[in-house]
Amino acid sequence: MRDYTLFIPEYWAAGAAVLIIAADILWPNMRRQLLAYLTAGAAVVYGGIALFYIQSDPESFMGLIQVDDFTTFFRVLGAGIIAVTAILSANHMQHRAGVLGEYYGLLLVAGIGLTFMAGARELLTAYIALEVLSFSLYILVGYMRRDVFSAEASLKYVLLGGFASAILLYGISIIYGVSGSTFYDAIAVGLADRGGDADIATIIGLMLVIGGVGFKVSAAPFHMWAPDAYQGAPLPITAFLSTASKAAGFALILRLFTASFVDDAEFWRWAIAGVAVLTMAVGNLVALQQTDLKRLVAYSSIGQVGYMLVVIAALGYGGREVGEQASSALLLHMVGYVISTLALFTALTAYYDRTGKDSSIRGIRGMAETQPYLALIITAALFSFAGLPFFAGFATKLFMFQASAEPELLWVIGVAIVASFVSLYYYLMVIRQMYLFEPEGGVQRFRLPPLVWVIATVLLLGILFIGIYPAPVFEIADSAVQPLFEVGADISP
Amino acid sequence: MVPVENYLALSGILFAIGVYGVLARRNAILVLMSIELMLNAVALNFVAFAVFMDPEQITGAVVAVFVITVAAAEVGLALAIVIRYFRMRATSNIDEAAALKW
Repeated sequence: MRDYTLFIPEYWAAGAAVLIIAADILWPNMRRQLLAYLTAGAAVVYGGIALFYIQSDPESFMGLIQVDDFTTFFRVLGAGIIAVTAILSANHMQHRAGVLGEYYGLLLVAGIGLTFMAGARELLTAYIALEVLSFSLYILVGYMRRDVFSAEASLKYVLLGGFASAILLYGISIIYGVSGSTFYDAIAVGLADRGGDADIATIIGLMLVIGGVGFKVSAAPFHMWAPDAYQGAPLPITAFLSTASKAAGFALILRLFTASFVDDAEFWRWAIAGVAVLTMAVGNLVALQQTDLKRLVAYSSIGQVGYMLVVIAALGYGGREVGEQASSALLLHMVGYVISTLALFTALTAYYDRTGKDSSIRGIRGMAETQPYLALIITAALFSFAGLPFFAGFATKLFMFQASAEPELLWVIGVAIVASFVSLYYYLMVIRQMYLFEPEGGVQRFRLPPLVWVIATVLLLGILFIGIYPAPVFEIADSAVQPLFEVGADISP
Repeated sequence: MVPVENYLALSGILFAIGVYGVLARRNAILVLMSIELMLNAVALNFVAFAVFMDPEQITGAVVAVFVITVAAAEVGLALAIVIRYFRMRATSNIDEAAALKW
């Protein structure tokens, strides 16, 4: 079915992106923050239009991209991420780059890539959506023209990203050769026809695909780009990287693995479990030694990816019931993680904009005195990452590990719990800097811009809401994953 | 007709050379060329599989065209980033790109 009305939100986002770039060219003297607010407004409208697709029957565009509750979930999540990132950029990017139209335009384009990664039901479509997101991010990471860190970060990111894409594509080509199709459902059929033998080609193909998508979500041992890209990128883009690219990566993994690979789970589940353990260990242990706050957040987010991968392993070890529970818990955790990360970066961006300090951990010394509200928000976000009760991370991790508790995975979950305790140590080191030290460099107490205050408060309430009463969000996540498990919902074109 | 194994062997060799180049070369441009080799291996794979499975089926050829297009875009973008880095630091050696520790 060629139903062009399925993509009205994307038409809007792409149109808005072009208009924003054009507006910057046509009216170069426009107040620079205005572009940011226009982008945030466009993103909110994008999410708003997406809401009209809730609960509609899953429908796909010629079997390539499916619009269902899962896609809607990521449309709204992506729109929220873009809106917050744009508002953070308003002050932060004002003096850091010459032309800003493309910056905001690319944010919206990246959102389209995110949505199509979540909606794709065909490997080539998924790959192109992934590259749309990645290309936007390569540019955004290096957007600070005169900053050598930014240039170096985007150089490393683009080289390693291209390498990972090539590996992913080679894996896709082998899967295509074995199964005879690039459509997710037809791949499942093709792999089943093979008779379930452990042939070497399938395993190599699966491993290459896991390596390629593992790079995108920065799972160890494919995580080397993350700390550099996070550190060199402008602060709001660091927030965008650690939320949007992970959400998109897991959306793609969830749909691909539930639709195509779940029957051949025995060939890949051990690899995912291994990668999960390695990712948790590397992320949390290396984070202990960081002195730069952005790098610390990068490693801590790698650790978070490890927790999320436990769910993907559970898809392989458990049956359909386990898969459904675990996937909805993963989406819930994703929401909690995104809200906590955005809260953290809202506070950090507001603070660094005001004080002009670099992103070393010493830079936030004495924040409890100069800006107690921001210190509170950072504390809440870090507690949420660590998984303390009453903060989002506790409830969501509990759901996730409970749903994934297959006998073969218990040791992985044990590692995850130990890793959570380790992570508490370095989060407390950051909190200690804020509360136990005097401010350095004559930073005075200052007031927050009203818009930043509103966003920070909304995100803080979000962290507490999910931490104390996760049921409503869990129900949304639960209905979002249903289309993934409907057998043969809409097979091929 | 040339058996499909020959094509797959060629593509495997190309891919392996590309991986070696990415890991061993220290010049950003050469790394990019190695990535191109890997992508060419992918395109060859797709075309070979498509013809081998069903000469009427065009999926493989379509994918190959897309792979080539995306590769061109990727190289354009990556070269721009390399050039900007070169202007700043007067080097395209990725070992010297160590302001951020790897």
